[in-house]
Amino acid sequence: MGATAKKQKREVYRNKVAAATSAEVGDVALADLKLPQKKYYRQRAHANPFSDHLLKYPLSPAHMDWSKHFPAFVNPDPTQTNLAGTRKLLRDVEVVDIGCGFGGLLVGLAPVLPDSLMVGMEIRVQVTEYLTNRIKALRAQQALKRQMTSTSTPSTPAPEPSPAPATASETNPNSKPATPDPTVDDSEVFPNSLIPGGYQNITAIRANTMKFLPNFFARGQLSKIFICFPDPHFKARKHKARIVSETLNAEYAYALRPGGLLYTITDVEEYHYWILRHFGYGTPVEKGQGPEGGEEGLEEVKREGSAELFERVSEEEIEKDECVRVMKDATEEGKKVARNKGNKYVAVFRRKENPEWV
Amino acid sequence: MAQNFQHPFQCIHFVKRKNGESRNVLVASAGARLFSYAAESGQRLSSWPLDGADIAIPDANGAGSNPETEGPPGKKRKVDPAEQKKNGDAPAKKTPAWTNIPILTSTPDGEYLVALTGEDKCIRVFQIEEDGSFQQLSERPMPKRPSAIKFMENNDILTGDKFGDVWSMPLIPSAEPRPAPKTPAQRSTAIAATNLTVHTARNLKSLEMQINMKSQQQEHKKASEKPVFDHDLLLGHVSLLTDVAFASLPSPDPSSTKRRNYILSADKDEHIRVSRSRPQAHIIESQCFGHTAFVSKLCIPEWAPELLISGGGDPHLIVWKWATGELLHTVPLAEQGSEADAEGQPKEIAVRGIWAATRGADSQRIIFVALEGNPTLLPFTLEPNGSMTPHKPIQTSGNILDVEVHMNTVLVSVDCIRAPGSTQEWRSATSTTLLEAFQLKQGTTEWESVSDQMLGTINATGTVPVGLTEGAEEKEKEALNGVLYGLENLRKHGWAGEETVF
Repeated sequence: MGATAKKQKREVYRNKVAAATSAEVGDVALADLKLPQKKYYRQRAHANPFSDHLLKYPLSPAHMDWSKHFPAFVNPDPTQTNLAGTRKLLRDVEVVDIGCGFGGLLVGLAPVLPDSLMVGMEIRVQVTEYLTNRIKALRAQQALKRQMTSTSTPSTPAPEPSPAPATASETNPNSKPATPDPTVDDSEVFPNSLIPGGYQNITAIRANTMKFLPNFFARGQLSKIFICFPDPHFKARKHKARIVSETLNAEYAYALRPGGLLYTITDVEEYHYWILRHFGYGTPVEKGQGPEGGEEGLEEVKREGSAELFERVSEEEIEKDECVRVMKDATEEGKKVARNKGNKYVAVFRRKENPEWV
Repeated sequence: MAQNFQHPFQCIHFVKRKNGESRNVLVASAGARLFSYAAESGQRLSSWPLDGADIAIPDANGAGSNPETEGPPGKKRKVDPAEQKKNGDAPAKKTPAWTNIPILTSTPDGEYLVALTGEDKCIRVFQIEEDGSFQQLSERPMPKRPSAIKFMENNDILTGDKFGDVWSMPLIPSAEPRPAPKTPAQRSTAIAATNLTVHTARNLKSLEMQINMKSQQQEHKKASEKPVFDHDLLLGHVSLLTDVAFASLPSPDPSSTKRRNYILSADKDEHIRVSRSRPQAHIIESQCFGHTAFVSKLCIPEWAPELLISGGGDPHLIVWKWATGELLHTVPLAEQGSEADAEGQPKEIAVRGIWAATRGADSQRIIFVALEGNPTLLPFTLEPNGSMTPHKPIQTSGNILDVEVHMNTVLVSVDCIRAPGSTQEWRSATSTTLLEAFQLKQGTTEWESVSDQMLGTINATGTVPVGLTEGAEEKEKEALNGVLYGLENLRKHGWAGEETVF
């Protein structure tokens, strides 16, 4: 009974959001443009990466239609199309957040890397839907802000988003006053300033990267991969489902260009050592010892296999990296860990050149 | 009831005798057994496992009469811990561990026969003695069921398994295996969760229970079930692997005589991955994108090592220049292989096997393709540009199970139990044809059926009877069908009309 009511509420809410986001954005709609509420999109935190999931994915990277994800970056020349016949972009997507969840990292990174196209990949369908709506709302709001400010200050940050109509062709029947809705349970609010890039450079896709990362990204296309607070899969029997493993690292190495960075952060100490081991780093660098398993493992790891394609980035460099700060503080999980006074373990690896054939 | 069905040959393969000159022994698997035949006369030389050997012969109806061992292979049964303990006290060695032998191959030189026994996932290496008997040199239980066994340099075994992992191991296991490779998974037996990482009441409670359990368990540590022989994990997909291939190309640098070795791996998620061979198997060189359904077979002809012919759940083959992932041609199969079914819907087809051969004085380069549950063998000529010209299809008397090209003859193993064209329906009476042979008519692209003494003798000798328990026949038949015809299980079924790949 309770579950059904919850489901119904979700549906009503989501239909409303769908109507609002599909409507043309105008001054009046701004009042009603609120970020989607997470409570309507919650989903069990685990998904089986081995099952088929009715996923959609492109036949190859050259078949991927990015144009609907990044309308502001579509190549103005309509003859520039990819193998699937859709419009090409002016630049390639080069940053991926694997398991992006509700999108805290992407939203935080959008102004940090305004010239990079970034995609969040998430296997949970409802969470992806939330993030898609969140990005839509952020973009629309930024577009409006820009319109209003451009009358006074002519300097607008590039790139120019697709022009929004000046007048609202449709007003939402449920419009409320412009004051924030007190019933909104999420603490998120719109940024009240103009953000470089206007969130035109981020998007979300539902995908199982463990299976289909190569369908989206060609060899060496990526400059950054983020793996933030991955599902720890505590049981040893489930370790094959972990998103970091020697065999998967070979796929990350394929998609990352030499010099590209792979960022990881976790609140599970054992998983941190697991990550280090699978990148061939056994020496204890952290203060305080790992759990038995980690400690024992630290001794005998050799830098062979996919580990030879990566090198660990030094602490000093990590300190200076703005992306690491965002990863620690802006992600939903990062905030949750901070609330619970947990620890955060960061490791960053740089892709090396492929060695010579032997 | 008493139709006296007999198991068809699931796999056929020609090998050499020990220190032999030529591949003059035909080995075939039927049911749970291997048989060897003299290639000239067709006389049965031996079988394995032998009657009365320490491994009890799987009574042909072993699978049927014992519902405990029934069920799709590879699925784990839940075993009651108490029962497990009982079994541990008196090892149930007497019952056969497998009901079928799905892979039969040999080292490139034909010296060693390598077979996979079904349910126990054992890779077994044999040599054939002078009298045709089987000498088992090793048995190695794999952690997951291999779906393909191929060979690398030095006859090392290359396998890909249902878990997505590709392994290499020496043909002959070394007498003293290296100390069991400690995998990270094994090492981390400590509980990784802490009250810093789990927060809900239920999770905290289960964490507490785990910690308690842990402290009790310390004394009796369970022995690891990991295999103790040398085997190296080379690469992995997060998908079921269907086939692997090993290939070698000359270095693009003309001054270098060193060849470049590659591993190709195909999975049920349409992927064909091209990696370097060991010790650099973690470097992915290219991906062959183009299949829209599972890939089931890879074929790199030894006379055209730069080309790959792949097939699977798509109604076409794809010819690739695999080193760069370049798709050269798609070769339709549907119009030749299968007609529309009763409702006029094109029947879904799946490629069961692809075999490469050269024939005739002018060394025609021929590719044979068999479809799952289909009695038609499709021969093609592979043109130098990679396109494939179809020959007139070869009709056989039953679903094609395996194909082996020997000398100038194409030997086809056919399903004597099921109705031609069906993977489910059984014939009303068994067919006595187990093997058929075909030869190319001189100077044409037509194939004619030939019969010789070998075929006559083998077909007359028969294999092992299928024992069906009265009352449970339908279920047993279904299980047997599943053993021989599993490809359609790889197909993804999305919402009706919904394309999975866009």
